[in-house]
Formats: sequence, structure tokens, C-alpha cells
Amino acid sequence: MAKRVLSVDDDPDIIAFVKTVLEENNYIPLIARNGEAGLAMVREERPALVILDVLMPKQSGIRMYREMKSDESLKDIPVIILSGIAKRTFLRSQEALTEFGDQPVPEPEAYIEKPVEPEELADTIKSFIG
Amino acid sequence: MKKEQKIKKMLFVTQFEELWFDALQSLMDLRKAGFNHVVFLHVIERDKVALRRGKGYLKDEEVKLREMANVRFIDWAENLFEQGMEVGAYIVVGDILPKIISTAEEEGVDLIVTGRHRRPKLEELYAGSETLDLLRRTSTPVLVHKYMLPSGKINEKPFDRPLLALDWSSASENAVQYLLTFKDVVKKVVVIHVAGEKTFKSDSAMEIQAIRKENRQKLEAVCDAFRDVGIEAESHLYIGSTCEQIEKAAQEREATMIVGGTTGKKPLKEIFLGSTAKKLAERSAFPTLLIPANIKPEGS
Repeated sequence: MAKRVLSVDDDPDIIAFVKTVLEENNYIPLIARNGEAGLAMVREERPALVILDVLMPKQSGIRMYREMKSDESLKDIPVIILSGIAKRTFLRSQEALTEFGDQPVPEPEAYIEKPVEPEELADTIKSFIG
Repeated sequence: MKKEQKIKKMLFVTQFEELWFDALQSLMDLRKAGFNHVVFLHVIERDKVALRRGKGYLKDEEVKLREMANVRFIDWAENLFEQGMEVGAYIVVGDILPKIISTAEEEGVDLIVTGRHRRPKLEELYAGSETLDLLRRTSTPVLVHKYMLPSGKINEKPFDRPLLALDWSSASENAVQYLLTFKDVVKKVVVIHVAGEKTFKSDSAMEIQAIRKENRQKLEAVCDAFRDVGIEAESHLYIGSTCEQIEKAAQEREATMIVGGTTGKKPLKEIFLGSTAKKLAERSAFPTLLIPANIKPEGS
């Protein structure tokens, strides 16, 4: 049975790109356009993997990631960050939030800075969910 | 307004002409009062990408403008994320005013920060002032931010020493209540009332002195309210043209910002209404924080 992969991004071009990559590799794409909607969809749909942007309306990928990795029932879902925001910034921001009193969270399973080639994205997804 | 107001989430509107990242940095003092979420908004004006004869819709131009804004927002966002802030961004095509209003509503922001946006004179004649339009259509406080002081230095802490202009209306009272909640950020408030020259037209000196005394007492009562929450306060009574006197007072008292209430509607007696709000927002050298009478409760 095809696995479901959630793409969380507010850029329509990226959404179309990721959707195509997923469909061509026999995954079922799920789409959310901000972190708030993405988190609701993760809780409802329990996707096999999440591809997550960082800078988005409503709720950033940084907060959504933190929510996921702090939730016992969601923390094992692998997350690929796909963003224009540098990995160094992502990690520093998580450290800053931990310093402010939140629980520490692990590094994401993979971090890809935009743009990405379709093959690289597909290979990264396959490395986690086959 | 019964509920305490806080600025947790801010909509920062920039066309990359009037407000840059240092303008936002100058507002970081608000973090002491709970501020932790910035939403950037850049509006690509429709006529920049609109259909043109023989060219069609300028998709390439839209992509270029979007990416230019995106590069800037990513750079700004990285800086803020690393400080533990939450950041969001919108880059949209359309008319600026409706986009500000819809984004503010969608995100539920507590403060809208804009630069000085002025319609061309002819357009203003028909459509009115953009600033006034915004104030009429939102229940969120609006800061028209000018982050360069008249001295040429950057206004690093606009909330440090606000000048609060009062006309004793309910809108003014809202502004007082609003500012009272910023005790962690505001060091000193300069409270003023501008009395029109007509107020002092009387045959009796006693009558004029009574008016002066009454206003002074009201001003001192407001100062006491600030002192009660640990904010220093001083009061002054000015006479003359409202806008001119507010601007003069701000300079004399070394204020870092001008604050006032506004109904955003028609009762023309109120000090910050109509042309006064417009003039201060668009012409004053100081950042101008306008508190609407129908201010929404926090988190709504």
C-alpha cells in the first residue's frame, strides 16, 4: 500500500514540485500550507513522513517541528526540512527555544536547503520510508 | 477596554522603501512585554505586474519581485529565529490596504507597523488618506513608524518615552489604558493636552484660569495612574493648533513616540481624528501609535 507523505509549504510552486515528486515515486501526497494546518493534518492523518518548510504564515516550521518532536505519538515520524532558511539557523533557533525553557528536541532526520533536485528529494524520502 | 493588552504578535508591513530591518530591531524592546512573533508582509502592487498591451500578465516580473522580497525576508527571519522569535511571511500581489487588513485578521496580530504610505495627491482627493482608511477599517493599534529621529540618529527605543496626547474623549481613555500595560517597556510618559485658542476666549481671567486648572487636574490624575504602575510621568498643557503643538511638545520633551486614541470615524471633536491623525501619522517626525476606540481584546 502506498505511503502517505505530508508536504507543508506555503509556496504554490514548491507544493506542485513536491507533489509531482511524490506521485512519480508512488507516494500519496498530503498538502498543508502552514505549520498550524500541517500539525493538525499530522495528528489526523499520521503520514509516514513530513516534508517541512520553515518560514510560513500562521506557524513556522520551527514551531511545528518542535510540537511534533515533543509529542510522544508523533516524534517518530521522520521530518525532512526543505527550506530557504539555513540549517544553522534552524538549529540555533531550537537551542534558543530550549534555553527559554522548552524541552530539547533532536535534529531533524534530514535538512535540504532549497532548491532541490527531484532525484535528491526522492532518494532522501526513500532512505527513510522505502 | 477592560482586558490587558499586550503586543505578542506584530504585522510588519514593508515595501522596502520606508521600513527596513533596523526599524524592526528598534521595536525589539517590546520583547520585555511579551512580544515574540513577527509576521512580515510585502505587497507587490498590482500595477507593477498588471496586464499591458502586447505583453500580457508580467509573470516574470512577479517572480522577480517575489524572489527579491523572499531573499530579504529570509535574511531577516534567520536573524529573528536565532533569537528564539517566531516569524511568518506573506508576499502577495494586490492593493496594499486590503492586504494589510486581511493579513492582520488572518494572523490575529496585536499591532500593525507600517511606514508612511501616501497616496498620490489626486488619488487622495477621491479615495482619502490611506492611513485614515486603515484606522477606520481595523480594530488593531497601528504604529506608523519613523525610526530615524529628527537628529538623524536611529530611534532605538520608541516605547521608552512616549508622548501621550489626550483630548478627554473615550478614545483618549483607551490610549491611556493601553499604555498603562507597558510598564516593562515604557520608562516615562509625557502626558499633554492641547487646548484650542478658542477655549481661552473669555472676558474673565478667572474663567480661563479655571479651565487651565481643570485640565491640569485631569492631566495629573492620568500621571498618577502611570505612577501607580511604576511608570514615571509628567504633564503639560499646550495651547494652539493641535498638530503643531503635539509635534512641538514631542520635540521639547524629547519624546520617542507620539501616542493617541482614535475613533477612526466621524465625531470631529476628538483630537486624534481625521486630519490630526492623518497629519501626525504622515508628517510628524516621530513614530505615531494610534489606538482605535474599538480595540480588540488580546488574542481575539
